[in-house]
Amino acid sequence: MGRTVLIVDDHPSFRASARRMLEAHGYDVVGEAADGGAAVVSAERLRPEIVLLDVRLPDADGLDVARSLLRRTVAVPLVVLTSSHDYADLSGAIETSGVCGFIPKAELTAGALAAMVG
Amino acid sequence: MSSFRRSWFTAAALVAVAGVGMVFLVLGSAGTHSPGSFASRRRYLVYLLLIGWGFAGTGLYAWRRRPGNRVGPLMTATGCAWLVRGLEVSGSPLVFALGKVAAPWAFAVLTHLLLAFPSGRLGSWRLRLLAGIAYVNVTVLQLAEFLLTDTQAPGAECPGCPPNPVLVTGPSAMVDAVGAAIGAAQGLLALLVLVGLVVVLARRWFVATAGQRRSLTPVLVTGAVTVGLITVTVRGVPPAAADVLTVLTLTSFAFVPFAFLAGLLRSRLGEAEAVTMVVRRLGASTGRTAVRDALAEALGDPQLQLAYWVPEIASYADSTGHRINLPGPDDTTSASLISHEGEPLAAVIHAVSLAEQENLVPTIGAAVELALRNERLDAALRARVEELRASRARIVEAGDEQRRRIERDLHDGAQQRLMALGIDLRLARERVACDPAGSEDLLDAALHELGEATAELRELARGIHPSILTNRGLPAALQALAGRSPVPVVVTTSQHRFPAPIESAVYFLVSEALTNAARYACAQQVTVTVSDRAGLVEVEVHDDGVGGADPVRGSGLRGLHDRIAALDGRLEVASVGGQGTTLRVELPCA
Repeated sequence: MGRTVLIVDDHPSFRASARRMLEAHGYDVVGEAADGGAAVVSAERLRPEIVLLDVRLPDADGLDVARSLLRRTVAVPLVVLTSSHDYADLSGAIETSGVCGFIPKAELTAGALAAMVG
Repeated sequence: MSSFRRSWFTAAALVAVAGVGMVFLVLGSAGTHSPGSFASRRRYLVYLLLIGWGFAGTGLYAWRRRPGNRVGPLMTATGCAWLVRGLEVSGSPLVFALGKVAAPWAFAVLTHLLLAFPSGRLGSWRLRLLAGIAYVNVTVLQLAEFLLTDTQAPGAECPGCPPNPVLVTGPSAMVDAVGAAIGAAQGLLALLVLVGLVVVLARRWFVATAGQRRSLTPVLVTGAVTVGLITVTVRGVPPAAADVLTVLTLTSFAFVPFAFLAGLLRSRLGEAEAVTMVVRRLGASTGRTAVRDALAEALGDPQLQLAYWVPEIASYADSTGHRINLPGPDDTTSASLISHEGEPLAAVIHAVSLAEQENLVPTIGAAVELALRNERLDAALRARVEELRASRARIVEAGDEQRRRIERDLHDGAQQRLMALGIDLRLARERVACDPAGSEDLLDAALHELGEATAELRELARGIHPSILTNRGLPAALQALAGRSPVPVVVTTSQHRFPAPIESAVYFLVSEALTNAARYACAQQVTVTVSDRAGLVEVEVHDDGVGGADPVRGSGLRGLHDRIAALDGRLEVASVGGQGTTLRVELPCA
């Protein structure tokens, strides 16, 4: 069985595509969450090994959710997904949030994720 | 004869009859006593008549000059109460008793008069309570005290007085105790009323303008002196001093009505003086606030504001063109309206105390009407500029908001779908060799996402600017709008092409109106009519919904108003509850 993943994104079509891609490459997608509040609840309940977290959620900033998750749960690799290709927009915030890094949504592949979380 | 004249003549006749009747009644009866230090009843009656007719005469004069003001009737009532007091020197026990019971009535009416001066009204519950206490004290408690007063008992304060015909007898200890309690209550209430009166008069003095103080001074000074003397006389002074104080009190009392008359005349002089001051000041000054400054100085109200009626914005505006709301009935300021030939011209917003001189502000306003009309033109121009500035700011804000909305729509809609599509296509490419059937499913999903993204982009583009409007003109664009509306729409439109900004404004007006009709108005039918004549495009959108739309509060309607105004057009919204909503627009199209 592959590593367990929680996908946090408010767009159902993106979550569906990401799930198809990850499961095709052996990951076990154990849950999906559409906002920050649901993400915290799901992460505490499911204890995934990887969390893919959209940076722009309807109820909160994705990086704030990441900090909250890191405070509440055991250390878990958090990967931020962003629509922006411009790392300069987010570099400062990402470095201080404690997440592993970010992957532009348009470039999300199993290889990119593996390279990020090891 | 009008009801006022009938009342006035009746009161005048009563005053005359009461005065003369009182003299005959007293002089015609046996008796030798007189109150206080008055050795002769004749001297006492001279005082009574002087004071009573003085109050009544000036009161009747004031009543006639200012029928709407209750000061006149109160002055007249004070005079009558004073004349009735003369009955106490009668030798007839019954008339004497009536006089003793009625003796302090004049003081209560005078208290009422001072509390109500100069408006004639007791404007708050505190004033009404104070006057009420004074009346209870001189009626209920005075009657109770007299019922227990044996006027012929050894050591009584009234040597030579007739016997009390309504004397209540009983155990002397009990009568003495009850009498003492009533006397103490009377004294306490009198002190309470006095302190309250002093506070009220002092406060009124401090908030009064210079002009008002000129008219208040005589009345307040003589009134305060008189009430002070009465209080000292009533309680705890040796008989010799009491005699002197009684004379002083009556003398002071005699001056009060004439002081009021002086105050009234000063008030009239104050109006003329204020008009002269305004005109002189206006002649010597220029500038946007010349009239306001002159009025503020003449009326002694530095906080005075001048609001000009600007028909173009259907509102009052100050000299800088900013809209201004007139004070309501509960505010600390009051507004006096100035009009010209029935049309509102301006409003003077001033201290509430100035409203008590009801003719003052309108009189001065009429004197400066020409200057006001000139300043109003300036204010109207500034109001127009201010309206344009606000409209420009709203248009910029609306543009920013629209860009934010487009970014949000792109991010949340098409962009997400395209990224999902990218993931699916990459996965399909990876699996096409080993899993053709799975790849086919992935490609179907990608095509579905592509279709959705295309539709969302098309809708977004139409919201920015509909291509059909550019390519096929207003009739086709409006028909397309009608076709997408959930409410049946009948469109009748001119077939002419208009400049792009006009077509765009009309299109978005109709689009907003149809959205509102479906979303808020619960309409069953909408009609859209676009016509053009004499260089003017006229649009009317009518729905049969619930009505009650507020063009000021709705950001959509306000945005439309700004867009139309930017093209020098005019938007009218008629939306009475239960009668649907009609938008009418006129756009110049030369």
